[in-house]
Amino acid sequence: MKAVEFKNITKTFGNFRANDDISFSIEKNSIHCILGENGAGKSTLMKVLFGSYKKDSGEIYVNENPVNFKSPLDAIKSGIGMLYQHFMLIEDFTILENVILGSEITAKTGINYTESKRRLNSLIDKYKLDLNLDDKVSDISIGAAQKTELLKLLYRDSEILIFDEPTAVLSPIEVENFFKIIRNFKEDGKTIILITHKLNEVKEIADEVSVLRKGKLVYSVKRENLDIKELGKQIIGDLELSIVISDDNLQAPEAKAEFEEIDVLLSLQNITLTENGLTKLFNINLDLHKGEILGVCGVEGNGQSELIELISGLNKNYTGLYSKNVRKISLVPDDRLKKGMIKEFSIGENLLMRLPGKNVFSKRLLKEKEQEVIAEYDVRVPEVGDIMENLSGGNQQKAIVAREIKLNCDVIIFSQPTRGVDIKASSFIHQKIYNEKMNGKGILLVSADLDELLALSDRLAVLFKGKIVKIFAGDEFLSGKQNSKELIGKIGQLMIGMEL
Amino acid sequence: MDLFGSILSVAFFAQVLRLFTPYYLGASAANFSERSGVVNIAIEGFMISAAFSFALFSIVFGNPFAGMFFALIIGILLSLLFALFTIKLKVNQIIAGVGFNLLMAGASKFLIVLIFKSSSNTSRFESFYQIPLLKDIPVIGNISGDYIILFSFALVFIGNHILFKTRFGLRLRSAGENPAAGESLGVNVRLYKLYGVLICGFLASLGGIWLASNQNTYSDGMIAGRGFIAIAAMIIGKWKPVNIFFACIMFAFFEALEILLQVSMPDFPTQIIQMLPYFITILVLIGFIGKTKPPAADGISY
Ligand SMILES: Nc1ncnc2c1ncn2[C@@H]1O[C@H](COP(=O)(O)OP(=O)(O)OP(=O)(O)O)[C@@H](O)[C@H]1O
Ligand SMILES: [Mg+2]
Repeated sequence: MKAVEFKNITKTFGNFRANDDISFSIEKNSIHCILGENGAGKSTLMKVLFGSYKKDSGEIYVNENPVNFKSPLDAIKSGIGMLYQHFMLIEDFTILENVILGSEITAKTGINYTESKRRLNSLIDKYKLDLNLDDKVSDISIGAAQKTELLKLLYRDSEILIFDEPTAVLSPIEVENFFKIIRNFKEDGKTIILITHKLNEVKEIADEVSVLRKGKLVYSVKRENLDIKELGKQIIGDLELSIVISDDNLQAPEAKAEFEEIDVLLSLQNITLTENGLTKLFNINLDLHKGEILGVCGVEGNGQSELIELISGLNKNYTGLYSKNVRKISLVPDDRLKKGMIKEFSIGENLLMRLPGKNVFSKRLLKEKEQEVIAEYDVRVPEVGDIMENLSGGNQQKAIVAREIKLNCDVIIFSQPTRGVDIKASSFIHQKIYNEKMNGKGILLVSADLDELLALSDRLAVLFKGKIVKIFAGDEFLSGKQNSKELIGKIGQLMIGMEL
Repeated sequence: MDLFGSILSVAFFAQVLRLFTPYYLGASAANFSERSGVVNIAIEGFMISAAFSFALFSIVFGNPFAGMFFALIIGILLSLLFALFTIKLKVNQIIAGVGFNLLMAGASKFLIVLIFKSSSNTSRFESFYQIPLLKDIPVIGNISGDYIILFSFALVFIGNHILFKTRFGLRLRSAGENPAAGESLGVNVRLYKLYGVLICGFLASLGGIWLASNQNTYSDGMIAGRGFIAIAAMIIGKWKPVNIFFACIMFAFFEALEILLQVSMPDFPTQIIQMLPYFITILVLIGFIGKTKPPAADGISY
């Protein structure tokens, strides 16, 4: 039986065709992956299915009945749940309030909190979500926010679950957990639609795959015939490029083993940072050198964001010695919507805002700069000058990376630089980061993507509960990279606090 | 006369509670609107229009309850209009608010001249019947016998309960915090914004009605900026009904003190007292008394 069927779906924004005559179907009780470049129209198609966008033409069938959702409420009532690419959480609400909103259990005088809590806690236990319902969302980590989103779906008992790049924000261990949960969902008879850019995940979990390119459906394949190389080719639509990129391991550029004292750009000595009585960073000793990519990994919430804030000068409440030999540091933050940009501004405006010495500028310069970024970084915009909010997630990321590199600071911090970015753009961003290193910049690369870290880092620090539990460096690291499976296993264990 | 003795007296205390009423009604009005994400700075305007129309219809029908009924209807119709501009047509909320303030102030002036042939007052009208028994309690009789004052006290608890303990409140707040998130869960965000604006119109009107009923007439300028002070009280109260209660008590206290001083120490420059609440407001706004944070999507059209 078909859980969902799209027939000739077209959706335009102005003159731009985000979905162009798309037809395919999704089997009930299967895991269906949707792939495609940034801006291919994946999120748009899902929003059309979920009733948050109105389609221009075409038909949608759910459980083989025609439907015409006018709002997400209609979709929810038909048993569809969606986890958006960007969190849909209310910062000022508790986890509990976020989850029950729209489907509250009420008693005579108001919301029945006891019953709500009882139900949610049993779901939390069943799926091992490890959440505290009374925590405010503004205080929780990205991983917990993700789980809160999952809990929303569970609570609504949705039968068809749409996940828009759910794993982009998770560390490898969390991804494993997430997949376990998804498999449980499937065992419970649910249908799962999963959007992702990570081909190894597709290989692991997909029953069927559909590929979109420039708004059109270009390829569909069942698990039996799944071939990663072919997928890469279909996504990019260019055979030669795909060979370069989809090479299972990223190409590992030469990593440097030795650094000179004189090349130190930043130096942290015995740094400890406490916030509200909690130790966020403990006795950190770390140097960053010219021409070095220093990788930092850890499960989200183990001190990465505090480390970044400290180094970039946003948090000064530390003890210990932090010295830097550079004037300015640029930063590609992890949460692009909140920290990386002004989403009501265009790419050009976001760029000029940060660029020094451009206090007065003409419309022409604005446009010129914007086109420069668009061309150089292959940012797909509906229209030059359009606001950032209208760009697809991956394209927003590219624009921010472009801006921060253009600032030309001696130290660049990249936090999750390829989160939500397609394979082609990822390899492009990796190339850019590598180039900056070769230009003599010092680069701090904080990422949840171990493949990325191994491919690029000269040294790799593992954070756990605010402590650096190990720095992989020198020959041990370089030779470890040869056998990356084993090394990743080791790092994974360190990340969850296991001693080696 | 002993000033401190007077301040500590029951009569002074009763006066504070009376003056508290319009502030709290106005501040709660603004709060319901802002919690739904609509900034309504026309509280003053809504109070003016309600005070005037209450006076007008009380005189026309010879009955203050009829006056109240029509004044509330007009208040709600005007807030529907405000909702049309701000929610449906997405006019900038501050501009709409300024427009409403100017419109109400002007219209009431014009109508007083037109209808009552006076440049400043309507004729007088009868007071509300007070609540039997309660009105006979000594000293506080004119508080405990007053429907609107009692309602404004109850509102502290009702407002808190509605906003934080009910489905309605949760959804209303979601509209003010993150409308996209609310909508993704099927909350009809614009409808809740409409509710917020309507409740605002209702409560602000009630505040205006009380002020006029207190004087048994409407005189031009009688609202005297209370609508704006109410907004300040909401901010000081951090958009929380119980905190707003204390903020309004503070404003009422200073107003009562000012009145007391005018009588007991005519030479005392009461401007200093008048200034105090604003001074405190500024201190709060620049962050001396804890951080205040409005609803995240306050003032943004959706
Ligand atoms: N509200 C909107 N207004 C105008 N254009 C839009 C809007 N939403 C999306 N688009 C455009 O439609 C195209 C498809 O966007 P969509 O978000 O569906 O891409 P995607 O496949 O999900 O990409 P990504 O992998 O980066 O998330 C993009 O070019 C985007 O700029
Ligand atoms: Mg997307």
